[in-house]
Amino acid sequence: MKTIIQLFKNSYRIFWNDKVGVALTFLVPLALMSIFGSIFGGSGAGPQGIRLAVLNQSSAAVAKDIENALDTSKAFQTIKSYTDEHGKQVAFDSVSIKEYVRAGSASAALILPSDAYSDTSLGLNLKFYFDPKNDIEIQTTKGLIKQIVFSQFPSIIAQSGFKQADRYLGTKSGEGFKRGIASTINKYFKVDTNAILHPDFSKKLSTGSDSTKKSFNFMDKIIRIEEQQLVGQDLKNPWATRSVGGWAMTFLLFTLTASSSSLFEDRKSGVMLRLLTSPVSRVHILWSKYLFNMSLGIIQLLFMFVAGWLLFDVDMFSNFVNLLLIIIAASMACTSFGMLLAAFSQTRQQAQGLGTFFILTMSAVGGAWFPTSFMPPTIQFFSKLTIVYWSMDGFLEVLWRGVGFSGILPNLGILIGVSVAVSIISVRRFRRGDIFS
Amino acid sequence: MVSIKEITKKFSSVIALDNISLDIQRQEFFGLLGPNGAGKTTLMNLIVGYLNAERGTVTVGGDAVSQESLDIRKNIGFVPQSLALYDEMNAQENLEMFGKLFGVPDTVLKQRIADQLKAVELYERRNDKVKNFSGGMKRRLNIIASMLHDPKVLLCDEPTVGVDPQSRNAIFDFLTGLNKQGKTVIYTTHYMEEAERLCSRIAIIDHGKIIALGTTDELLEKLPYEETIMITRNDVTSKHEALLKEFGSLDDVDDHYELKPTGEFKLSKFFARMEEAGVKYQWIELHRPTLEALFLQLTGRRLRD
Repeated sequence: MKTIIQLFKNSYRIFWNDKVGVALTFLVPLALMSIFGSIFGGSGAGPQGIRLAVLNQSSAAVAKDIENALDTSKAFQTIKSYTDEHGKQVAFDSVSIKEYVRAGSASAALILPSDAYSDTSLGLNLKFYFDPKNDIEIQTTKGLIKQIVFSQFPSIIAQSGFKQADRYLGTKSGEGFKRGIASTINKYFKVDTNAILHPDFSKKLSTGSDSTKKSFNFMDKIIRIEEQQLVGQDLKNPWATRSVGGWAMTFLLFTLTASSSSLFEDRKSGVMLRLLTSPVSRVHILWSKYLFNMSLGIIQLLFMFVAGWLLFDVDMFSNFVNLLLIIIAASMACTSFGMLLAAFSQTRQQAQGLGTFFILTMSAVGGAWFPTSFMPPTIQFFSKLTIVYWSMDGFLEVLWRGVGFSGILPNLGILIGVSVAVSIISVRRFRRGDIFS
Repeated sequence: MVSIKEITKKFSSVIALDNISLDIQRQEFFGLLGPNGAGKTTLMNLIVGYLNAERGTVTVGGDAVSQESLDIRKNIGFVPQSLALYDEMNAQENLEMFGKLFGVPDTVLKQRIADQLKAVELYERRNDKVKNFSGGMKRRLNIIASMLHDPKVLLCDEPTVGVDPQSRNAIFDFLTGLNKQGKTVIYTTHYMEEAERLCSRIAIIDHGKIIALGTTDELLEKLPYEETIMITRNDVTSKHEALLKEFGSLDDVDDHYELKPTGEFKLSKFFARMEEAGVKYQWIELHRPTLEALFLQLTGRRLRD
């Protein structure tokens, strides 16, 4: 027993001396737990700032109420105009709002048409246009819009109906009229009469509790939302097309971090010393490693997209040149990231430990696994600082939206710019660091 | 061939080499002898241009060496202390890769690789991965990987560390052969036997300074005695420790006494006194002093302390 205790203590001593290992044991789970927690309601915030284009063509009060409710909802960032080629803000019309979604500037658009609702209407008519490049986000957007519409519509229809009954039939007859209406609805739509007459009816409808499921069915029949998918409707396998880029990026980062860390292996084995006592300079070694990693990254990404094409019919060839450009830029950026880690680490273990931490965090924050709109605004801000975000966005632009060279220029510019900046920092750090000594 | 002028090298606040100057002639087999941490490897790294010095210059064949001077490295072969080989590649692939870095033409390189592999008896194993080699085989491969560009100067930084006696002898023969063919060899070691056996001239280095320089004979002349006397320790000799001390300093080493004569020592007088004391001749051996003794004399420490 004494021996076991001694060995047990030794294990802790060794573990504690490995500061990187200790940090990884606690920091990685903490970071990921915080991100996942904020996504899946740990803070109760839910999705925030989903870009929704809105066009209200109706003069009905209920349409205005719905528009106001959307404007004040934290879940949405409503957009009602676009910037034209002269830099002027122009209010959406029914054509430009669809183009706005097709261009990827918003993931969905809601039109409240001129015939959305009138005093003689039997229900509410809405038009919903969407780009399901991120399916989870679109499903959530649809649900949230319905929730907001439901929360406004029933109270208005009930109040106006009851007021009309009171005005024309008198209070006593009005009560009878209300019960008659409730009884009719109960008969044809199987909605509990008490639920209709209850003052909290509209609130219950909007909360979506089990008791109001039947009420939702009823509301679905009187709120008609015409849906149209604007992008990606011709793709054979939308799921694979959407997800291949995210997974490819995560694995690419792991590969290139490991590869960059091989510099430490060369130093440890003495090969680095042999190389540097040959007619080889430090710059030669860094460039060769950079080019190797970049080419490896390109090959790995191409392999994953070819696998996507063979297994899931992901269409990689109809926009191949632009896809290749994004692949090259993403590989450059990931290579720079790997080299940066190697430059700032003391050992291979440290580089790989830090790599695991940053890769998982960047993948989660950058939207490789979940829509960024599900994250708190602060994390959404950091999302756009990750190469995962810009790479994935580029892959989606090319594969999903089929954009041309000009469409991916921002992605290329950011990825290449980040690569150059990070590489300069890495090279300077390598020169000052001890990987070559 | 190799000229080192007033070299000083620091690592942070630690002075690794302190104002060292050396001239090594063409075709010399020059030894750098010193304990671990004395500065031998640092000096080798400066000669090959892996490190830059804070002060002083190194020239090889008249050309200044630095981290930036890549071409001059074509005249230098460096055998690092570590086994600087790719374990996952076979011997042939390793040699081809390192040879190409020196710009050796393919046809010449292939022939040299074959010749060198045969010379160190690894030709039959050329297609085996290095990870499957024994320590001695790796050491031999490590040496020839530094020879493929046919350098004028070969720097060997403790190339026999962890090698069995048989492989060690093979390495010695190989290096001696190269030296006879005209190569200048600079060899670092902390084994004085190696330095004595191989090197025509030796610099003893300690704490970043050269404390002695010359041929083995010249160095040993620095000792105040010409021979070391070993006396078997037994009941008779142990009774006469005081008598032995009259002739010099006496060390008790394992199963014998080691006497380093001092003052006006006469061998005939010593033997006469021993005979009188009953110490038999066969218990006494005369030895030529070693570089170890010189190091001890100069520093008060043993080479392997």
